[in-house]
Amino acid sequence: MSAAVIPAAGSVAMAQRRPQPLSRRAFWLIVPALVLIGVFLLLPYLNIVSMSLRPPAVGAPYGKGFTLGNYATQLTDSYLLGVLGDTLLLGLTTVPICLLLGYPVAFHLARTKSRWGSLLYVLVLSPLLVGVVVRSFGWLILLSGNGVINRMLIDIGLIETGLQLMNNRLGVTIALVHVFLPFMILPLVGVIQAIDPTLEQAARSLGASRLKVFWRLILPLSWPGIQAGTILVFVLTLSAYVTPVMLGGAQVKTMSVLVVQNLIDNFQWPVGAAQALVLAFCGMAAVFVYARISGLFTKGIQ
Amino acid sequence: MGSRVADGLGLAFVGAVYVFLLLPIVIIVLMSLNAGEFLTFPPQGISLRWFGTLFANEAFMRAIGTSLKIAAIATVCSTVIGVAGALYVVRYSTRFREGLRMLLMLPLMLPEILTAIALLFFLYASGIGTKTMFGLVVGHVLVTLPYVFTNVASTLYNQDASLEQAARSLGASPLRAFVRVTLPLIKSGIITGALFAFVISFDLFNMSLLLKGIGMTTLPLQLFDYLRWDFDPTAAAVSTVSILLTLAVVIVIDRTVGLRSLRFG
Repeated sequence: MSAAVIPAAGSVAMAQRRPQPLSRRAFWLIVPALVLIGVFLLLPYLNIVSMSLRPPAVGAPYGKGFTLGNYATQLTDSYLLGVLGDTLLLGLTTVPICLLLGYPVAFHLARTKSRWGSLLYVLVLSPLLVGVVVRSFGWLILLSGNGVINRMLIDIGLIETGLQLMNNRLGVTIALVHVFLPFMILPLVGVIQAIDPTLEQAARSLGASRLKVFWRLILPLSWPGIQAGTILVFVLTLSAYVTPVMLGGAQVKTMSVLVVQNLIDNFQWPVGAAQALVLAFCGMAAVFVYARISGLFTKGIQ
Repeated sequence: MGSRVADGLGLAFVGAVYVFLLLPIVIIVLMSLNAGEFLTFPPQGISLRWFGTLFANEAFMRAIGTSLKIAAIATVCSTVIGVAGALYVVRYSTRFREGLRMLLMLPLMLPEILTAIALLFFLYASGIGTKTMFGLVVGHVLVTLPYVFTNVASTLYNQDASLEQAARSLGASPLRAFVRVTLPLIKSGIITGALFAFVISFDLFNMSLLLKGIGMTTLPLQLFDYLRWDFDPTAAAVSTVSILLTLAVVIVIDRTVGLRSLRFG
C-alpha cells in the first residue's frame, strides 16, 4: 500500500508545475465507471424501493399512486411467510454443510507442498467457472428418479425402488452446497495460508496436542475466513434462483422463485419488488446479527 | 500411529470432497459421449452423435452465437472501463481511494438477481426498455466490471509508478507513456480480468433471464428452457461445449499468469 501512496504524492508535486494538473485530468479515467455504477446500479436500487410502494394494476406492470399494501401482504400472508422461512432455513442448512466440507479442503490446499497443488486449486476453482445451469443439470442426471445414483443403488441391490433424491429440500440442498462450496473454500485458503506455521510448531513443542492446537490456535486464527465464507454462502443461497427451480421442482418454493414468478409470469412488479426487498432486509439483518455474535465470540478468545 | 490414521482419514475426506465437486461435471461429459437414446449410466457405448444433433439444432446454435456476442461486447466494455478505473484508483486517487474501490466492487457484493430486478424496473421507467440488447449488455458489464477492476488493480499495485513518470519526464505524452510503459507491465492482469469477465458473462443466467428482449435467448437460458421439456444427451452435449470453453480459459490463464494470481474480490 505505502508504495502506491508515494507515487500519488509525487504526481501531485509534479502537477504543481503544470498549467493543468495531471491528477485532475486523470479524473476522466474514472468517469465511465462512475456513470455506469451511478446510473445503472445506484439509481435502479433506489427505484426498487419506489416500485415496491406502487399499487398493482391490471394490464400494466404497476398502477398510479403509492401504498404499503405489498409489504402488508408479504408480512401477514401465512403462505408467503412460510416461503420466507423456508428460504432462510435453506441458507441456515447450506452454510454449515459448506463449512464442514470446505474447511478441511481449504486447510489441505493451504498447507500442501504437493506438486499437484495448482491442479487441486483448479479443481476447486473450475466448478465456479462452469455455469450454474450446467452444474444443476449435472445434479439432475445424478439425482433423478431414474438417475445415476438410484440406478447404481438398485444394481448393487441396496434398494428395491428409486429413492426420492430431488424435487425436495434434499436435492436442492445438495446442489446448493456444490454450487457455493468454492465460495467457502477460497476465502478460507487465503486466511489459513497467512497463519504462520511456526506458531503451530511452537505450540506443539510446548506440549499441546494436535487437537488442542487446532481448537486454540488454528481455528480462532482462521475466523476471518470462516466469517467471510459463511456470509458469502448465506447471501448467495438466499438469492439463488436456478438451483431451487431445477432441483426443487414444484415442491420447493423459495423467495427468489416467487419474485421471478411475480415479475415474469404474473407481471406483478410491485409485489415482486416488495418481496425482493423483504428478503434482502431479512438477509442483511441475519448477517448483522451474525457479525455481532461472532464479534463477541472472537473477543472472548482474545 | 494414531495421528497417521487421522491423517489418512483426513486425506480421504478431502479426496471425497474433490470427487463431490467434480462429479456433476464429469457425469455430464460422459453422458454427452453416450451412444444410447437416454441419459443412462453407464453409457451404452461411446459416440459423438449427440454433438451432431447439437450442431443441427438451430435454437442451440443461435443461443451459443448470442451468448458469444454478448460476452464479447460486455468483455470489451468492462475491460476498457475497468482498466481506466483501476488506473485512476491506484495511481491518481488520494482521499477517496478506498471508497472508490468499494464502489467499483459493489456489483459483486449485491445479489445478481436483485441487481437484475432493479435494472429491469429502471430500463422500463427510463423508457429504454428491453427491446434492444442495450439493457442486457449493461447488466453483463456491471457484473463483470469488478473482476476486471480487481485483477488489474492488483497488478498495478505491484508495479512501480516511477517507470511511467520517467517516461513522462523524458517527454512522452500520457497516452504514449501508458501504451509503451504501463500497458505492457499490467498486461497479465488485463488478460486475466478480461478472460474471467468473458466466462462469467457467458454463463450469466439471472441477468439474462430478466433483461433479455422478446425472442432473444442466451445459451444458459436455452439450456434451462430445453431441460423443462426434454431430458436427452443433446443437453449434455451443449453443456460439454460450455465446460470445454471454461476449461480452455482456465488453461490459458494458468499458462499466462498462473491461476493463483486470480482475484475474486
